[in-house]
Formats: sequence, C-alpha cells, structure tokens
Amino acid sequence: MHSRHSPRGCGPAAGGLLGSALGPLSRRSALGLLATAPFLLARRAEAFGASSLQDIAELQLSRGTLSRPAAWARLLYELMEATSVEANPSSVLISPEDPQLFEHPFAVLIGEGALPPQSAAAIEQLRRYLSYGGFLVFDDASGSPDSAFAKSVRSLCSTLFPTRPMAPLPGDHSVFRAFFLLDAPVGRTARSSVLEGVTIGPITPIMYVANDLSGALDRGPDGRPKHAAVPGGEDQRREALKLGINLLMYALTSNYKHDQAHVAELLREGKLLDLRLPSAVRP
Amino acid sequence: MSWWLGGPVPADGALHFGAPTALLAVAAGLAVLSLVLMLAAVRSGRARWVELAFFAPAALLLALAVADPRLSSESGVEDAGRIVVLVDGSASMAVEEGGEPRAKAVDAQLAALSSLGPLEVYTFDEDLQPGAPAAYAGHASDLGVALSAVADRYLGEPLRGVVVLTDGIDRGALRRAVSEAAAEGRLSPALVPALPGPLSLLAVGTPRGLRDLAIEEVVSGGFAFLRTPVSLRARIRGAPGEAVPVSLAEGGRLVEEQSVTLGEDGRGEAVFTLVPREVGRFAWELSVPLSDDDAVPGNNTHPVVLRVVRDRTRVLQVSGSPSTDQKFLRLLLKEDQSIDLVSFFILRSPGDVRAGWRGSELSLIEFPYERLFTDDLSSFDLVILQNFNYGPYFDSFAAEGLLQNIAEYVEKGGGLIMVGGSLSFDMGEYAGTPIARVLPVRLGLEGAKADETRFRPHLSAAGKAHPMTRLAGNPDETEAIWSGLPELDGLNLSLGPTEGAAVLLEHPLLKAGGAPMPVLTVAEVGEGRSAALMVDASWRWAFSEVAQGRGNQAYLRFWKGAMRWLVADPEDRRVVVVPSRENALVGEELRLTIRVRDASYGPQAEARVEGRVVAPSGAELPIDLLTNAAGEATLTLRPTEQGAHRVEVRGGPLAAERAETVFAVSARDPELSEITPDHAYLRTLAAIYGDRGRFVEDGSVGDVLLDEGAVRRSPQRAELRLAKAPGLGLAFGLLFGLGLLLRRRLGAA
Repeated sequence: MHSRHSPRGCGPAAGGLLGSALGPLSRRSALGLLATAPFLLARRAEAFGASSLQDIAELQLSRGTLSRPAAWARLLYELMEATSVEANPSSVLISPEDPQLFEHPFAVLIGEGALPPQSAAAIEQLRRYLSYGGFLVFDDASGSPDSAFAKSVRSLCSTLFPTRPMAPLPGDHSVFRAFFLLDAPVGRTARSSVLEGVTIGPITPIMYVANDLSGALDRGPDGRPKHAAVPGGEDQRREALKLGINLLMYALTSNYKHDQAHVAELLREGKLLDLRLPSAVRP
Repeated sequence: MSWWLGGPVPADGALHFGAPTALLAVAAGLAVLSLVLMLAAVRSGRARWVELAFFAPAALLLALAVADPRLSSESGVEDAGRIVVLVDGSASMAVEEGGEPRAKAVDAQLAALSSLGPLEVYTFDEDLQPGAPAAYAGHASDLGVALSAVADRYLGEPLRGVVVLTDGIDRGALRRAVSEAAAEGRLSPALVPALPGPLSLLAVGTPRGLRDLAIEEVVSGGFAFLRTPVSLRARIRGAPGEAVPVSLAEGGRLVEEQSVTLGEDGRGEAVFTLVPREVGRFAWELSVPLSDDDAVPGNNTHPVVLRVVRDRTRVLQVSGSPSTDQKFLRLLLKEDQSIDLVSFFILRSPGDVRAGWRGSELSLIEFPYERLFTDDLSSFDLVILQNFNYGPYFDSFAAEGLLQNIAEYVEKGGGLIMVGGSLSFDMGEYAGTPIARVLPVRLGLEGAKADETRFRPHLSAAGKAHPMTRLAGNPDETEAIWSGLPELDGLNLSLGPTEGAAVLLEHPLLKAGGAPMPVLTVAEVGEGRSAALMVDASWRWAFSEVAQGRGNQAYLRFWKGAMRWLVADPEDRRVVVVPSRENALVGEELRLTIRVRDASYGPQAEARVEGRVVAPSGAELPIDLLTNAAGEATLTLRPTEQGAHRVEVRGGPLAAERAETVFAVSARDPELSEITPDHAYLRTLAAIYGDRGRFVEDGSVGDVLLDEGAVRRSPQRAELRLAKAPGLGLAFGLLFGLGLLLRRRLGAA
C-alpha cells in the first residue's frame, strides 16, 4: 500500500527562510564564483526518472502513526534550494511490508503514542532495508523523549537489531555537520538535547528525533506553519529545518563529513600524497 | 715343483685353510664314513689292509682339498713420501694485480713443485676437491677444513710435505681462531690440525697497492608497497676516508646521486628513498665510479629489482550531487577493507548560493580540485567521476590543463570510470575535452543527450565473458542474473563506442550508429583502462535484490569486478610472467612462470607462449612453450650475466596479450668483500706448527719444507692355493685308481 502526496505549500513565497548571505566556500573561491556566476550558474543535477530523485517515504502502520506530507514537501524543497541534491518534493505513504519500500531509501515514521506490534514480515523487511542502505527517522510528534511512542520505538529497534541498542549520538557525529553546523536537534519543541540512533558499523541507519521535527515543518493549506515552535519561535523553526536537511544529507552521505574533515586537514598539511595513511582517517 | 703345487711357494709362507670350519668337519666325517663303508664290504683280511693302504690316503687328500689349504706371505716396498699440494680456488685468487689475476703464478709454482717428487694436488674453497682449480670462482675459502681433510685422508702415512698456495684470505673458522688467540697471546698447536707432514704456506698475491671500490650489498627487502616510501641501502667499501659518489639509475636514467664518505674501516652506506608509483617489478642499478686500477671491476655496479605491490586500492570518488546512486557506491567502497577511499561530493553548487544561508551556518570546505587533479592524482589507482561536471568548479583557465592531467593519468596506467547522470558525458560538456579522448564512448551529440524511458539493459556477447559483467561462473547464468535485475530510469546517450572499446551492456531498443546504444563500455587506453556507465541508478541492482531477500550480490560483484578490472594489476592480466625471485646470483637457478587466462579469466591450457629473455648485453634467450592444464608454462634458466634482465612474453588464444617483467642478477660474492692478501695470518699459522711449519712470503718453491725421512710403505701379499695344485689331483687319482684295481683283483665286488 502506498500513495504519493503531491507537493503543496512549498516554494520561496511560502518559505521565508531565504537570505542574502553567501555560501560556504572560502573567500578566494567565493570571489571566484561571484566573478563568474553569470556564466556558470550550474545546471542542477537532474536524475533520470522521478524515482531516482530524493523523496521521502512515510511509514504507515495500522494505528499510531501520523502523516504530514506538507512538512516533507517543505523540507525537500528547501533541500533542493540549499544543496546540490535533486529531489522530488513529495512523499509517499507506505507500509513496512510493502516491497515498494525499496524504491525509497529515505523513510520516516511519525507517531505520538504507542505503536502496534509489527508482523514478522514487516520486521524482516525493515531489517533488510536498513542493513543494505535504507535510512529511517522516527519523529516523535509528542515532542517528549519519555513518550509512549519513544518506548515503542526503542522496543521496535531492539527487535530489529537486538545487539545494537538505540543510544544518544555523540556531539561529533556526522549528522550534526552533514551540511549545516548544528548545535541542538530541535523541532517543534526543544525538550531533548540529543538525537538518538542505532549505529551499525560506521553508519547510523536509524535516528530518533524527540522534538517533533515534522511538527516544526508542517504547514497548512495557506502555507503558514501549523504549529508554534516552542520555546524558540521562528528561530527554532529555522534550526529545525536545518536538522531536517542534515538528516537527509546524512542519509545520502553517511559519514562522509567525518572523513572529509580529516582529508581537509591532510590537504592543509600537504599530506594527502603521503600515502600510507591509517585507514581510520580516510573518508 | 712349482708346477706340482700350482705356483711358486711364498717365502716365509704360512699355511691356513680357506674353508669354513663347519665344512672341514663335514668333509672329515664323510671321509671316515666312506672308508668304514668300503672296508665293511671287503671279505678277506688281506684285501682289507691293501685297500685301506690306498683308499685312506685318497680320502685324506679329498678332505684336504675341501679344506682349501693356502700358503700365504705378506711383504712391503718403501717409496719416498708424497707431497700434498692445496691450491686456494676461491674468487679472491682471481683479483687483478697489475692487470693480471693474482693466481697467475700458481701454474708455474705447481710445475716447480712437481720437480720435487710426486704430487697429490687438491683445490680447496669451502670443500676439498682433487685436482688443480679449473677456475678461481669459489665463494669462500676455508683452510682449516682443507688441512683437517688432509690429516684424515693421510692418517698413518707420513707425508714428505704439505704445501698450501693461498692469498691467506681464509673465510673459515681457523683464521678467526688464530686471530683471536694471537690477540690474547694464547697461540698453541691445539688450534690447528695435526698434519702428517711439514707444512709450507706459499703466499700468493701482494698485500699492498690494491684498490677496490665496491658496492658490497644492496639491502632492499625485495618488495615495496605502492606509493609507500622504500629504502635501498647500498653498502660501499673502498679506501678509508674516501668520498664516493653513489648513483641510482633506472633504465639508464640517473635518478639520484649521493656522496658517501667512507669511515676508518673503509666502509659507508648510501640510503636512497623511493616512492614507487606503479605496481609490478622494476629494476634499478646502483653504481660507484670504476677506475682503471680497480682490482674487481664487477662489483662497482649492483642491480636490484623491487616487486611493487598494492596493499590497498586507492580510489577517488568525485560526485557532482549527493544521490542514492553515489551513496550506495560509497557504502560499498567504504566497507571493502582493501580500498582506501577519498570522496569529494559537491554538496552545494554555485546555483545554490541564492538559498541564503549564512556561511557560518554551513559545514562545507572548498573543493580542492587543483590539488586533486595535479599533485595528488597519481596517488590514486582509480578515479570515479560520478555525475560530475567540471565546468562550475574548475577555473576556466585551468580546466583544460586539469582535464589533460586526468587523460594523461589514464594513459599512463590509471583507471577511470564515468558514471552517468545529468552532469556526465555530453550533459557534463565533456565533448572535445581531453577527457573525451580517454572515454570508451564517443561524445558530441547534437540534440537530445539523455533518454528517460525505463529500460532493462541487455548483456552483450562480450559482456558475458568480461570480468566486469560476469556475475556467475558461466555465461548463461550470468545472462540470467542480468535479465532478472530491475529496469533503470534512463541513460546518457552517446555516438557509440570508440574504436577498440567493448560494449558490455547495451540498450534493448535505442541505437547509436546502427548498433545498440552503449550502456556500459570499457576500453584499454594506453597503459590504463576506462569505463563508461551511462546510467545513474545502478543502486537499484542492490536494493531490488535485497527486496527479494537475496542480498546484494549482483551489485557487489559488478562493482568489485569493475574496480578489479579498472585498476588492472599486472598480475591480474590475462598473460602474466612471474620470476621465482626478483634478485638472483650469477649461475643460480631461476624459474619463469607464465600464466595464461582465457577470455573469462580461467586457466588457458595448451596456449602457445612465445617471447624472450634479454640479458644486459643484448643476448636473447627465446621462449617457446605450451601451457599445461593449469594454464602455466615454466622456463628454468641459469643467468650468466650480471645486471637487469628483461622478460617479454606474448600468448593467449590470439597471441595478442603481452606481459613483461624484470629480474636482477648480481655477482655479489662475500669472498670479494676482502681482497688484500693476509700474509700475517699465514706467518702466524706457520709459526704455530714450529719447526714443522714455514711461511714462504715470495712463494718460492725452493723454500718448501720437506721431510726427506718420510717414506711410504706399499704392502705386497703372495698366496698359493694348494686345492688347485695339479699334484694333489694326480695323487688322489693314482691312489683311488690303484685301490679300485687291487680290490677287483683280490675279489672284492
């Protein structure tokens, strides 16, 4: 079972987050880009076929899950605006047992209460999905880390990966600098100061956001935010958007940022050519 | 009398019997028994006594013959004692002094010695062999072993003299023991073997005025890791305090020169550090200057071959946009412990600057493209350009040069794969750039540059056998796997494959120049290899199989096969030649193993392999072999020339595949690490033997110490076998015949 939500409530007019500051590059590169910008404003990457574009699958269970397609459409639109990722600003509703799940490597599950037990087939499919490259964000719409939803998520994760307990991610985890430098993983709320996740080897294919990320991004038909971001207001909503983009970017690049920091250091020190580097410092 | 006895009777001969005691007893018993039986048959008492008088002696004679009586005597003759001559056959005896080998005088000395009496001549180096040296090539001389062997061999025979012709460069234990004892003042006869004759040590060579600048040894370990610094340590010997220029050359080209000042012991070391940039076997040569008066010209150069291996494959992945395709490939590369991955992803393109985030909010670094595609490029085995367009990032003035660097990197042996997407191939505006020169597809399309219709690629005939697309053991199974993989979302178009390229996957419907549109194409470009994968959704090959509970084997095999082929280690090619060792000594046995693989990279039996081994002088040894069932052919050789030898072979079904290797042959000989004659040692050694030892410094044969009282006794033995004496047979016949005649006359039946 799956259905696609068409994009709504996205675009610059609805966003209000655009600014005039230049991007990330060094002064030299930035000047270089400015000087030549009229000639080389790059054509965006366009994947062949919509199914190869980045989108989001909303996992829907028999009960206990929410759907916020406008939030994800908004997030994907901002992703395209801020980054070089080419996305399809839409989401699909899909069951964890549906083989079509493997068409969408990024999935979210929003809930605010206890989740029903999952079938063995659903558990097996989710385990394969997450073990071979899929990524799943649990978004706690209750906005509280001690919710019934949080308990269900922990239980589900322990069933999926019994030897890999969900745990707070360290401050130097790549997700906090996958694109933006993040201080706190806030959403509609800011009750929890940590992101939690299940880490398998060098990557974290499951993350749990306790602060209702989709609540901060969700919009009504008029394009206005549906929920107030508390206690930080619009600044907090802006931070929530950055978290959302980082989650998507982490899902695509995994620990690339962690490795790249070392590569950058090697480049600065002129050591990239010194070849037998410890594997730990390689991207 | 001699006739009757069968020969002369030895003087002072003693009688003894040759038959065993048991046979003697049996013969005596039978003789007595036969007498008793014959006498019992005689009726008259007179006849009994007459017969007894004849038969009894006959029986005794028969018993005597069976007992094999012998008369023997021993005597001896005395000759003058022999002179044993030991000639040092080691290589140091061939060192040139004044333009001639040091051992040149040995023949004259032997001729002079032979006038003194009969000689027993032996050659000694590590062992003792009879005869004079055929060549002075022994790797070490051991005088102690030689003297002990003489003592054992002539035990009990006094020798007139033991004469040794040597330069005194004894590499055995005796010299060390004598040296240590002399230093400690405890010289004694117990240090040396007791000889059966007086010892004369005739010095060969001049202990002064020799010059030998040499590379004694090069320590390399024999192998090195790709792009990892490796040291070649050359140990130099020459005159104390001498400043020696040491050169390192590769293929006749000077790589580096160092000056080494030798220490008080005349020794020094030059250390050259290399960073191998290619995988395979490579020859270098170290040398020191050769002067006209150099005593050993052969040790002024030293070839060395290093086998360079890849400890890990170094991959550069550059992606123009984070995507699921790039993510899956990165995960695969990261999980492979044999791969060092350096990734650069364009997270934010110039077109994204309008999004309006403050720079301080972003976690991005500058794309170091200039460093990557200049200095660092050669450090990678494989470059993956994944949906990456250079235009927005490369400085417009530098772009041509950087793309040229990438093209040259491939032509010189690097691997390149361009993966599709809207920023690749013609869509990335690579047409007309140096990159297009090394890609296996032709660019320059007018009009549509991509097709977004879903399709399932077809495996071509070439793809069924190629290691990149061979996903199973046989072609049919491989084809079945490919046909079961999911459809892809579209592809970059091209004008078709370049000349010599092989299309492995093709579009089922679209055409390019009348042939199926390429989806995956490969080519060998110069020394390197390139591939073009015209799609951006190979990740679906992984996830679709996972969805069906089968894991992601097809995806893994495809990409691992692709990397293995693109990196193209010399030993992963279809024809490979491998020497049993990289560095050998002159005359040592060396094996060259040639392996031939068929198109599917399985062993190719009965394949003709032709080629040659080229020695430094240009001399060639032809190779013409057939491979066995394991696809291997072996050539065994014993190189006779010093220096780097090049091996070239050609083989395979079409004889189109080539392979090369090198091995180094050196004449390094520990014996030649010391060339100055050690006359002091010989003098000391002679002194230990006291009045039974003499050191003859000028090598004069007239001063040889001889024991004129030594005699050699030659034993002589004489023996007469009486059993064969004609007289014995005649006497037996006469007695036995008369006995029978009388018996008949006297009426006995």
